[in-house]
Amino acid sequence: MKKQAYLMVIPTLFFSGLLLFTIVWNIWLSFQNSSILVHKPKFVGLATYQYLFSQYFFKISTMHTLVFTVGLVAVGNVLGLLFAGLLYFIPNNVQRSIYLSIFIYPLAIASSTSALIWEWLLNPTIGIDWLLKLMHLPAPYWLGTSNMSLVSMIMIEVWAYTGLAALFYLASFMNIDKSIIEAARIDHASDLKILFRILIPNSMNGFIISTALLFLFSFRIFTIPFVLGGSATSPTLMTYVMYVYNLFISEYFSASAAMAVIVTLIAAAVILPFAILGLMKWVFRR
Amino acid sequence: MVKNENMKNSYKHERYYVRVIKYAILQIIAAILIILWLMPLYALFVGGLKSNIAAAATPALLPPSKPSGDAYYFVWKGFGGIYGLIGLEYPLLREILIAVPVAALATFLGAMGAYFFYIIMNRHFVLSTIGFAIISLATYLPVETTTVPLIQIVSSLHIYNTYYGVIIAYLMFYIPMSALLMSIFMPSIPNYLLEAAKIDGASDWKVFWKVMMPLLVPGFLSTFIFTFLQIWNNFFIPILLISNPHLMLLSIAVRQYAGGYAIIYNRSFAAGVVGSIVPLVVFIFLGRYFIRGLAALGGGAKGV
Repeated sequence: MKKQAYLMVIPTLFFSGLLLFTIVWNIWLSFQNSSILVHKPKFVGLATYQYLFSQYFFKISTMHTLVFTVGLVAVGNVLGLLFAGLLYFIPNNVQRSIYLSIFIYPLAIASSTSALIWEWLLNPTIGIDWLLKLMHLPAPYWLGTSNMSLVSMIMIEVWAYTGLAALFYLASFMNIDKSIIEAARIDHASDLKILFRILIPNSMNGFIISTALLFLFSFRIFTIPFVLGGSATSPTLMTYVMYVYNLFISEYFSASAAMAVIVTLIAAAVILPFAILGLMKWVFRR
Repeated sequence: MVKNENMKNSYKHERYYVRVIKYAILQIIAAILIILWLMPLYALFVGGLKSNIAAAATPALLPPSKPSGDAYYFVWKGFGGIYGLIGLEYPLLREILIAVPVAALATFLGAMGAYFFYIIMNRHFVLSTIGFAIISLATYLPVETTTVPLIQIVSSLHIYNTYYGVIIAYLMFYIPMSALLMSIFMPSIPNYLLEAAKIDGASDWKVFWKVMMPLLVPGFLSTFIFTFLQIWNNFFIPILLISNPHLMLLSIAVRQYAGGYAIIYNRSFAAGVVGSIVPLVVFIFLGRYFIRGLAALGGGAKGV
């Protein structure tokens, strides 16, 4: 009777196994010196990593990845919290779910389309700068300087992913016992006071989930900097995952694998605690 | 006594005005945010309806003075010879023919895997923890990390530049993802139903198919729609595994019309509309399933 269940898990195991195998393969490759320049790759230990750490592109992609991730986690969390607070106090259920959907739709449309729209909106003559000038507000050259490109990128990420944070914060607000809020209302607590004294302090799970997911979504972002930067070799918006691809197309296979190992380690350091201490506990032991 | 009543009334009265003002402020802030969030979508639809010169010269946020469908006609057919651009007609069809069956297959196989994790969860704690860790890793790991091994696997199987390679890569990421999402939906089914079916002598397959699946239809649909949109919007796997322009998938074909050497004004908006029309329609009509799938990524946040 139990044998059938073991048969049913085979496809999942096979394909997850394939994925684990690619990770192991990356580690194995990263200790070699395989590239277009080397005829017979051999074991070189950590030399590939040393090569990688000395590269300009590595430094710049570290900086970009750090800025994008910290920027999105910080801004996304704060805005997500405020959006969730706003939605919580909207009394009409239909209206609330429509508004929430509007904050979330950027996650559903293709990122290649988002990149293409933003490329136009950030155009200095006909994009949002036109509107800003009309309203006599400062109109920066969004993609003109390297610092402004980073700001633009964080702005696009915030547009794309804040809905995620709002969703999880709203869910944890909704889980809070209504009687506490009723009690606060009877004591004439204002909405802002309820938000900051009751809702936010009681949404630790929402904070953990949205921080982990914002980090992971920002860490894997590829299409938008790829399209806005013009090509895979352009350093202006290069991130870790783009650098993996860049090293691959320039045929430094071992360096690409080493970079992939670094990305995997950083991602796994967030994913595994989140999955085992968070997800599993919430899902199975409720 | 009377005085007291009056005071109460005036108090209520004040509260009423304060409430109305508060409500208005709330709605105004919400409306501003909604407009900001919808602005890119609006620019997309408006831009595609402009003529070529108008799209390049007039602000992206102004509606066209004379709407025209030229851009849509161009990106749909492509006129391959002229700019070397591929029309979106066939990439769109290919995307549908790949994304729907692959998403259905991944969801179904993932659901079977999730069933296994569900029934062994109480008995083999270590085994199920390891399994759960692996499927979570596969769900959240950036796709780009598999670049070199993936291309080596695919070229050693001689399926580079075919859809088999793309489909294998999709299954590698989305079967574990579906398994994770389904394992988050499954515990909502009470255990005694399973026990009862088992006592009656039902096999695991029968329990899964006859007891679990009918109750899990909403969860299954959420997982399917979430996976479908992930596949549809995937950019990296097709760009890595397909270089033949005659096999191009939609997200890559759309990208031809953006930036780089091919800024052809109104057409990039039209291409964006074609690239996202299916996800948008799915989101508008089945958005709650997508949102439930998204919520499941964070442990099935209940109450939304």
